[in-house]
Amino acid sequence: MKAIELVNVKKDYPGCSVPAVDNLTLAVEEGEILTILGPSGCGKTTSLRLIAGFERPDQGRVILAGRTVTGPGQWVPPEKRKVGMVFQDYALFPHLTVEENIALGPPEENRKAKAGEMAALVNLKGLEKRYPHELSGGQQQRVALARALAGSPVVVLLDEPFSNLDTDLRSHMRREVTKIIKAAGTTAVFVTHDLKDALAVSDRVAVIKDGRLEQVGTPVDIYRHPETEFVATFVGKSTILDGEIGPDHCSVKTAIGTIPCAHTHNLPAGRPVKVSIRPDSFELDPEGDVRGIIKETVYGGNEIEAVLKAITRNGPVDLQVHIHPEENIREGSELRFHVLPEFVAVIESPDLPHRPAGGRQATCVAEGIS
Amino acid sequence: MAEKPILCPDKRPVLTLQETLRKPSRFRLYLWRGNPPGIIPEALALITALVMFIPILYVMVRGFQGGWERWLTLLDTRIPQLLWNTLSLTAVVSFGALVIGVGAAWLVTRTDLPGRRTWAWLLALPLVIPPYVGAISYIIVFGPQGLARNILGYSPVDIYSFGGVALVMTLFTYPYVYLITSAALKRFNLNYEEAGRIAGLSYPQVFWKIILPLLRPAMGAGFLLVSLYTLADFGLVSMLRYTTFTTAIYFQTGSFDRQAAAVLSVVLILITLVILWLEYRTRRKQKFFQTAGAYREAEPFSLGRWRPAGLGALGIIASAALVLPLSVLTYWSYYGIARGALDSRFLEYAYHSLLTAGIAAAACAVLALPLVYLKSRHPSFLSSFYEKLALAGYALPGVIIALGMVFIFNNYIPALYGTAAVLVFAYIIRFLPQAMQAESSSLNQVSPHLDEAGRSLGYPPWQVITRLILPLIRPGILAGAALVFVNAVKELPATLILRPPGMDTLAVRIWIEASEGFYDLAAPASLLIILISALPLKWLINRF
Repeated sequence: MKAIELVNVKKDYPGCSVPAVDNLTLAVEEGEILTILGPSGCGKTTSLRLIAGFERPDQGRVILAGRTVTGPGQWVPPEKRKVGMVFQDYALFPHLTVEENIALGPPEENRKAKAGEMAALVNLKGLEKRYPHELSGGQQQRVALARALAGSPVVVLLDEPFSNLDTDLRSHMRREVTKIIKAAGTTAVFVTHDLKDALAVSDRVAVIKDGRLEQVGTPVDIYRHPETEFVATFVGKSTILDGEIGPDHCSVKTAIGTIPCAHTHNLPAGRPVKVSIRPDSFELDPEGDVRGIIKETVYGGNEIEAVLKAITRNGPVDLQVHIHPEENIREGSELRFHVLPEFVAVIESPDLPHRPAGGRQATCVAEGIS
Repeated sequence: MAEKPILCPDKRPVLTLQETLRKPSRFRLYLWRGNPPGIIPEALALITALVMFIPILYVMVRGFQGGWERWLTLLDTRIPQLLWNTLSLTAVVSFGALVIGVGAAWLVTRTDLPGRRTWAWLLALPLVIPPYVGAISYIIVFGPQGLARNILGYSPVDIYSFGGVALVMTLFTYPYVYLITSAALKRFNLNYEEAGRIAGLSYPQVFWKIILPLLRPAMGAGFLLVSLYTLADFGLVSMLRYTTFTTAIYFQTGSFDRQAAAVLSVVLILITLVILWLEYRTRRKQKFFQTAGAYREAEPFSLGRWRPAGLGALGIIASAALVLPLSVLTYWSYYGIARGALDSRFLEYAYHSLLTAGIAAAACAVLALPLVYLKSRHPSFLSSFYEKLALAGYALPGVIIALGMVFIFNNYIPALYGTAAVLVFAYIIRFLPQAMQAESSSLNQVSPHLDEAGRSLGYPPWQVITRLILPLIRPGILAGAALVFVNAVKELPATLILRPPGMDTLAVRIWIEASEGFYDLAAPASLLIILISALPLKWLINRF
C-alpha cells in the first residue's frame, strides 16, 4: 500500500519562467521515511505544500492512502486530508500550552488522553503546562512533532525540521525524530537541503533539481550510484569525466585511463558516457596509472581533501581526491593514484537522448525498497 | 524498461454542497495565484472596500462635472490664493516641525543632557493635544482679550497672522517628526558611526556626513506626515481665521455651493495624492536603513558648555507645546467648573461623543479584519486592490469625506441624511485605515504557518481565524479600536457638517464655545478630550 502518490504533478507560479514543480511523479510506501533533497529554491517545499493541500497544482494528481485528494475536478481541503505537518519555524501557538497545542489535532473525545500519550512518546512528560516560549529549540520541535502525530495522520510532512538547531542538537534530534516516527509507525516525508540530514534519517532519498526529479533511491544508492551529474556533485564531492564504455562492459575509458566500474547500466561498448568518481575512489599508489601534481590541499582532520592536476594525453585534468591524513603532502608534490571501482558510477551522457521522462519516473517507483 | 506505476483504484469522493460551492473556478484560482480565500471573507472585504471608496470617488466625479467654465472661474479667482495660503503654511510648518523634531530627538537620544528619559516622553506628549485645542489655549493667552494683553497691555505675538498660525501648528505637529526620528536614531546601526570615527572624522563631521544622511528617510517620513496633517487640518486654521482649502471647502459646503466645494476638493485631493506618493517612496527607502542585530546604546555625546543651551531649547519647546496649553486649560476649566460648566448639557455632549466614537471604533475593528486577513494571508493583486480602495480615506481631509457623504446621502439615501448614522459612517471611512494598520502589523507578526498548522490539524478556515488567530491578534484589534475611538472623539470638520440638529459633541462644542469667547465652557471639554487622547498613548508612540 502506498501512503502517498504524486502523479505528473506540475506547479507554476505566475511570474516565474521555470515551474516550481515540474511533472513530478513519486510514490512513498506506508511506514517509509522519504527525504526530498535539493538545493534551496528547487521546489522541495512546494512539493510538500502540494501534498498538504496548501497549494494547488496546475496539473496532476495527489493520492493519499488510496484517496485522490487533488486531481482534475477533485479537491480535498487541507483540514480533511489527515496530514500532519512540522513546520520549519515549528508554528506552535504561543497562547496555548504544550498540552493544548498537542490536543488541537485529535478528536474531542480522547483529546486529553492522546495529548498525554504523545507527550510521553516525544519525551516531554512534565512539561505539558509550559508555553512554547518557555521551551528550548529541541523541545519546541518535539512539541511540533507530537502535535503533528497526535491526529493519527496518514503521513507527516517535515519541512527543513533541523535547520533551526545548532550542530550538536541537530545530530541528536535526527536520531530522536527518526526513532519517534518509526515508533509511531507513520509514513514521513522530510524536506531538506542538507545532505547529512537526508542520509541520516531516510529510508529513501529523492533528489530534486529545478522542480524535476533527478533520482530516487536508498541513501547508499544515491551516494554510490548517482545517475546524473547533478546528483553526483550535489550529494557529496565528485569528479566528472567524459569517457566511453569499455569492451568488457565493466570499465570506462577516459582521459586518465581505463577506470573499473561496478555497474554500467548494461550500456553497449563504445557508448559515450560520463563517469563520476568519488574522492575516496582514488588510492595513493606509487605504481598507479593516474599521475599528477597536487594543486590545493585542505586538511580536514580525518582526511586531506586535495585537488590533483592529473597529466593525461589530452592535457591536464583536475581530480578531487582524498588522502590519508598521516601522509605528508605539500602543494606541488607529484603523486600517483589508482582507482577503486567502489565509488565509480556511470552517468549517461547528456548528448545521448536524455532518459525519457516516463522511463525515469517508472524507475523511481520501481526502485522503491521492497 | 519503463514500468508504469500501478495506481490504486480511484474512488471519486462525493462532494458535499458546501464543497461544491467552495470549489473555485480556474479564473478565480488564477486571480488569487492558486490560493483563493473563502467567499464570505472576500465578499465582506470587497463590500467594505467599495463603500469606503465611493464617497471620495463621488466628490471627484462631482468636481469634474463642474465643467470648464466653473473650473476656469475658480482657477482665476479663488484657487491661486488658496494654493498659496495652503502650500506656504504646509511648507513652513513642515520645516519648523522638522527642525524642532530632529533637534529634540538628537538631544534626547544622543547627548548627555540631564534627565534625558524624562525629556523623552515629555516631548512626545503634545501628540495628545489636538491642534485646535492647542489653538484655544493660544487664543486665551495671546488673543484680543487674552491674558497677555491684560497683563502686558499688548500681545507679543499676533496669533491671527500667518506667523502665529504657523507657530501654533508647528508646536502641535512636531512630535510626529520627533517620534519617527528618535525611533530611527535608537535603531541606528552604531557601526556606521564607529566606522566614521575610525576613519578619522570628528563628531560634527560624523553628524553631518553619516548620521543626518542615514536619517534622511526617517526625516522625510516625518516631514511628509506633518505636511499631510497640515493640509487636512480644519480646526486650528478655522479658529485662527486663516483660510486654506479645508476652510474654504467647509464654508462652500455650508453655503450650499457644493459644486465649488467639489472643485476645490479635487485640487486638495490631488495635492494630498502627490504627498502620499512621496511618502510611499520614502517609506520604501527606509527599509534599507534599518539595523539588524542586537541593540546597543550609543556613547552619549558630551554637550559640555552647550548643555544649558540644550536644556533651554527643550524647556522652551515643552513649555510652549505642553505646559502652556495644559495650565491655561486647567485654569479655565477650574474657573468654568466653579461656575457650573459640568451641567447636564455637558454630559450630553460627552455621551454623544463617546457613543458615536464607540460605535465607529467597534465597527472599524470588525470591518478591518477581512481586509487585513486577505492582504496578509492571500497576497495577490486583488487583495492589494481591496486594501488600496479601503485606504482611500487615509490622510484625506475630513471636510472632503463629509462632502462626499452629503452628496451621497442627500441624493440616494435621504431617509438617513441628518441622522447620527451618517456621522458614524464618516468616522468609519476616515479612520478605518488606522484600525487596518494596527491589525495588520499585529497579524504580520503571526507566521502564516500557524494558519496552515491549524488547517492541517483539521480546522476549517473560519475556525482557524476565530479559534486560533483572533486570540493572537487581540492586542492589535484593541489598539486599532482605541486609535479609531480617540480620533473620532477629536474629529471636528465632518462632525460639524454631518451632525444631526441638536446632537452636538464635545469637539463641536469646543469649536463653537471658543469662537464665541466662552473659554470657561470650552476648557473642560478640551481637557476631557486630551485625557481621552492620552489613553492609547503607548500604542501611538510604539507605532513609530
